[in-house]
Amino acid sequence: MIELLIFGILFALLGFIVLIRVAKGPTAADRMVAGDSADTLLCCAMVLFALFSGRGIYLDISLIGAMLGIVDTMLVGRYLEGRKEL
Amino acid sequence: MILRIIIDVLMVIGLYFALAGTKGVLKMPDAFCRMQASTCISTLGMLCVMIGALLYAIFVMHSASTAVKVALVGVFIMVTNPIGSHAIAKGAYKAGIRPEKEMTVDEYGRDLNE
Amino acid sequence: MQKTRFPAVISTFIVCYIFWLLLTWPFGADGVAVQELVAGGVVSLAVALFSARFFIHEKSFWLFNPAKFFSLIAYAFGTFFSELIKANCDMAKRCYGGCKDVNPGIVKIPVDVESEYGQAMLANSITLTPGTITMDIAEEEGKTYYYVHWIDVKSTGEEAGEAIKGKLERGVRRVFR
Repeated sequence: MIELLIFGILFALLGFIVLIRVAKGPTAADRMVAGDSADTLLCCAMVLFALFSGRGIYLDISLIGAMLGIVDTMLVGRYLEGRKEL
Repeated sequence: MILRIIIDVLMVIGLYFALAGTKGVLKMPDAFCRMQASTCISTLGMLCVMIGALLYAIFVMHSASTAVKVALVGVFIMVTNPIGSHAIAKGAYKAGIRPEKEMTVDEYGRDLNE
Repeated sequence: MQKTRFPAVISTFIVCYIFWLLLTWPFGADGVAVQELVAGGVVSLAVALFSARFFIHEKSFWLFNPAKFFSLIAYAFGTFFSELIKANCDMAKRCYGGCKDVNPGIVKIPVDVESEYGQAMLANSITLTPGTITMDIAEEEGKTYYYVHWIDVKSTGEEAGEAIKGKLERGVRRVFR
């Protein structure tokens, strides 16, 4: 099904458009939120591309991306809050 | 054939909400509103795509492991997103990030200053 | 920090092992099934010994009660999902309408859920519906309050609480009391 590839490319394009906010955003919180959104959108794109090409390796990569996307967000949040421990 | 139409409709709905979230992240006036818009991407935008992918993996590929992994990606994003969102919102408020326009009601700032 | 209890370790071990089974779903097509199962068991036990005291603070075998488990499933796919779709449509309308139609503010709402898991689940549900983000939890005189950032403030106090989390709270109370 060729639509999977088309939708995957569209989602990846949205992920790159969100990066404008990472470059422009005035504060750290804006950059972090935009980065998190880009992470989610690229996860979707990678799942669609894995289904299109029939290779499992992209699916594993997107699973790891979904699991580790939380860690950097938590770190930056705790740092902004001014806490010593996580 | 009917399955293909269902999957395409789900993907288009997902793309609609993801585009809404992207526009919100780029255009909303202050940091907290941008966070609200980004939630749109990681709930219904992501969920519709994952449901469509799940249908494709079950009924076209006939692959149980692919289906389970796709479902796990969706569940992980749904479970971990609110925690990060909450941490960023609290941290941003405590770090002194305020919207340019004054908020209508700000009971958190009032209670913090007491 | 509390000490590691034995039922908590068992419960964490079962959850970890189920996740391992899901990740390695087609067990050994060519005769490596026993190795995979044993390796998963050892790793799950190690993880459970280290992390049980962070993971479980109250009743350990709560999730293995079928009635509670099915009410959790009903909450996730019924109440919460309908609220999610409603909030998403509202947010998409705001975004496509030029992003000018916002009236943000932080309100303080009272919450009537006692258990720790229930409070965490309600807070995460509120954060996951677009339009509201839980920022902090405060306890005053035995009552619990959430501070919620709301994108379209219409009211404050009890009224705002009913508008934000009325149905969600009733669903959570059915699961966690």
